[in-house]
Amino acid sequence: MSATTAQPAAEVRPPRRAGLLRRLLRDPGAAVALVFAVLIVLAAVFAPLLAPTDPYDNDLSLAMQPPGSPGLPLGADSQGRDMITRLLYGLRVSLLMGVAAVAFGGSIGALLGFLAAFYQRWLDGPIMRLMDMMLSFPAILVGLAIAAIFGPGIFSVVLALSIATVPLMARIARSSALVVMRLDYIEAARATGMTDFRLIWRHLAPNCLSAIFVFGTLRFGQVILLGSALSFLGLGAQPPTPELGAMASEGRNFLFFAPHIAVIPCVVIFAIVLAFNVLGDALRDALDPRLRV
Amino acid sequence: MKRMLGAALLALSVAAPVADTWAQPAPRNTLVILREIDADRFDPHRTTARSAGESLYMMSDTLVSLDFDMRTIRPGLAERWDVSEDGRLYTFHLRRDVTFCDGRPMTAQDVVYSINRWIDPATRSPVRWRAGPVKEVRAKDDHTVEYELNEPFGELLYQLTLFFASVVDRNAVERLGDNFGVQGFNGTGPYCWVSWTPRQELVLQRHPNYSWGPPIYQNPRPQVERVIWRIVPESQTRIAALQTGQADITQYIPHIAIPQMRQMPNVRMSTQENYFWDYFLGFKVDKPVVSDPAIRRAVNQAVNREAIVRAVFFGQAQPADAYLNPNVEGFDAEAAKLVPRFDPDAARRTLDEAGWRMGPDNVRVKDGQRASFLVYAINTQIARQSLEAIQADLRRVGIEMRIQLWDATVGWGRLATQEFDAFTMSYPYVTATDAFSLYFDSQNRPTPNRMNWADPATDEALRKARTAVDPEVRQRAIAEAQRIIASNYVWLPIARDQIWVASSQRVEGVRAHGIYGVGLYKGLDIRLTR
Repeated sequence: MSATTAQPAAEVRPPRRAGLLRRLLRDPGAAVALVFAVLIVLAAVFAPLLAPTDPYDNDLSLAMQPPGSPGLPLGADSQGRDMITRLLYGLRVSLLMGVAAVAFGGSIGALLGFLAAFYQRWLDGPIMRLMDMMLSFPAILVGLAIAAIFGPGIFSVVLALSIATVPLMARIARSSALVVMRLDYIEAARATGMTDFRLIWRHLAPNCLSAIFVFGTLRFGQVILLGSALSFLGLGAQPPTPELGAMASEGRNFLFFAPHIAVIPCVVIFAIVLAFNVLGDALRDALDPRLRV
Repeated sequence: MKRMLGAALLALSVAAPVADTWAQPAPRNTLVILREIDADRFDPHRTTARSAGESLYMMSDTLVSLDFDMRTIRPGLAERWDVSEDGRLYTFHLRRDVTFCDGRPMTAQDVVYSINRWIDPATRSPVRWRAGPVKEVRAKDDHTVEYELNEPFGELLYQLTLFFASVVDRNAVERLGDNFGVQGFNGTGPYCWVSWTPRQELVLQRHPNYSWGPPIYQNPRPQVERVIWRIVPESQTRIAALQTGQADITQYIPHIAIPQMRQMPNVRMSTQENYFWDYFLGFKVDKPVVSDPAIRRAVNQAVNREAIVRAVFFGQAQPADAYLNPNVEGFDAEAAKLVPRFDPDAARRTLDEAGWRMGPDNVRVKDGQRASFLVYAINTQIARQSLEAIQADLRRVGIEMRIQLWDATVGWGRLATQEFDAFTMSYPYVTATDAFSLYFDSQNRPTPNRMNWADPATDEALRKARTAVDPEVRQRAIAEAQRIIASNYVWLPIARDQIWVASSQRVEGVRAHGIYGVGLYKGLDIRLTR
């Protein structure tokens, strides 16, 4: 990749898919994590087909039935709703919140990072100091403030998580872009008279993608955890919307009497976060040789 | 092996003293009472917190007291009283043996000072109205107080049993200023202020001269040397502390734990049926959708209160089939019959007849308007769970209820706005007139009349219930108000809470009272066996 070429557009494709996947699967931990992550996503996508019952229909006579009760392999929650159904639908909300926050916060962060790196002279200082300021606010505090303004809800949580993601992504994108900026083909492309926007879009961004992708994957796990924490505090999904953190929060009151209501969603959160962390690490390792320019 | 044993012993010897302090039983002659949250202050005229009331009933006295039946007024600081024929002048004859904690004898001037401080707009008591339409409160002599009203107020004696009407020492108030009830207190109650560490504990000690406890107790004197009100926010910790003897009494028991605690051999549970603390859902009657009485009626028919009581209150409450507790003074049985019974089919019929047709998304529609409304509540476990259950019940008949829960820090502010269509909360009351005047008088909009219920007939009935001299007229008037409200479905009554006071093995004489939600009231008759 170090070779200078007059045809940079053909050169800057991210690593080939097949090679990446093969390298990823060489690590057994990563393979398991990948399979689990795919299953989780599939379960969330096909929740309406998989769920045995209506997620909103309660039956108070079944409230808090323990796992293994007839027809309820994972038991029922405090409203007598099937835990499996609630988990499947809860996954949807949690994963969507994660995807939205990483996509939204990540793209804004990446854009800011590119701008900071590209216009290093004027924008680097202001943008990165702003990012430092944003980093100094705990995400939970941001979440509380946003919930106080817009009212608790999924939108508030996504906004808070996005805001928490922006500065982190901006740093990753900037440092990665700074490396790329020094490469000759950027100079060459500039020499052809490309506009700044085209230069960023066609050359800078694609060559930073692997770093952004790795960070996005790692961040996804963290964001799910953080989103669950905000929901646990009552800032997120409002009833009856199932969400893993909110489910855990609800079950907390009955921890001694019906532990499964809190424990099961926590285990699911744990598994998702672990899977995406392992996956992110493996992805970084798999992409590493190419990053080392 | 020997070495290991030595190490283990060493570890044990280090751990032992720590464990010892942790598991220390409550000291002799000191009663440790646990509660969930602390009070903002212990100034009777400037707080409405239940946790303040709990301690204020112990530290101070009121002119009259309330019996366990929650109907009979008994002597307090006043040994007897007369009411003039026109109902405007109450003459209280005070006991002559009463002293404050600092030893100073209490006189009629102290009562006059306290009542005047309570109703003084400068004090900004949120419950000033409870004192009635006062014309003048004056001391006729050292032991006679004349309480003169602009118009009769049949509720007066009940209101004077509440801790807001506590008698305080003028000197202490003036000495401590804004810090009265924060850094110190001086009252005539069975226990005296020692110290307060906010969010930790309030320490009281026995008032040595005290012998004027209300006659509802067997022994008018306090029998415990020290009382510590300790804050333990976590319910499981409270229960564990009670079981292990680190604490003696608590009334803050989650409903789910009550059946279990009643089985515990080393815990005594006391309850009382005349406990007036109700949960309800109120509709803003001037908002779209919920302004239609058919919707409100259908909600009343569609919600299975019994199932909610079983699942949310774990059976430790009563389904509210009326707006008030049948044991309360002024309750009207006819009005109770106007509250619809649970019948989902009837709810569907009600909606069909009113023209609400089932829409494509299983939510009914009328004139292009979806049968959907927004409910606000403070985010508590009970609010959340009961709303979710109500939501599911309403969904079955084609009504969509959207829930928005708020943290308590912003929730009360939000509940004062007009942003929502319905809300849920719970509240204590003393009499029917007390409860209904508070919530359904048009003058009390926007809070606590968050329903925006403005009806001249209701106002007139409530006015009569408060001001009529003849008790029969008062009863007819409050019954009328109950019937108007019930037949307009202004609320969905949900549940009547039950009070349980748990006490440890070494405590005797605990009897749940429950005035304004306060379980121990004066805290008399309580003894420690060791």
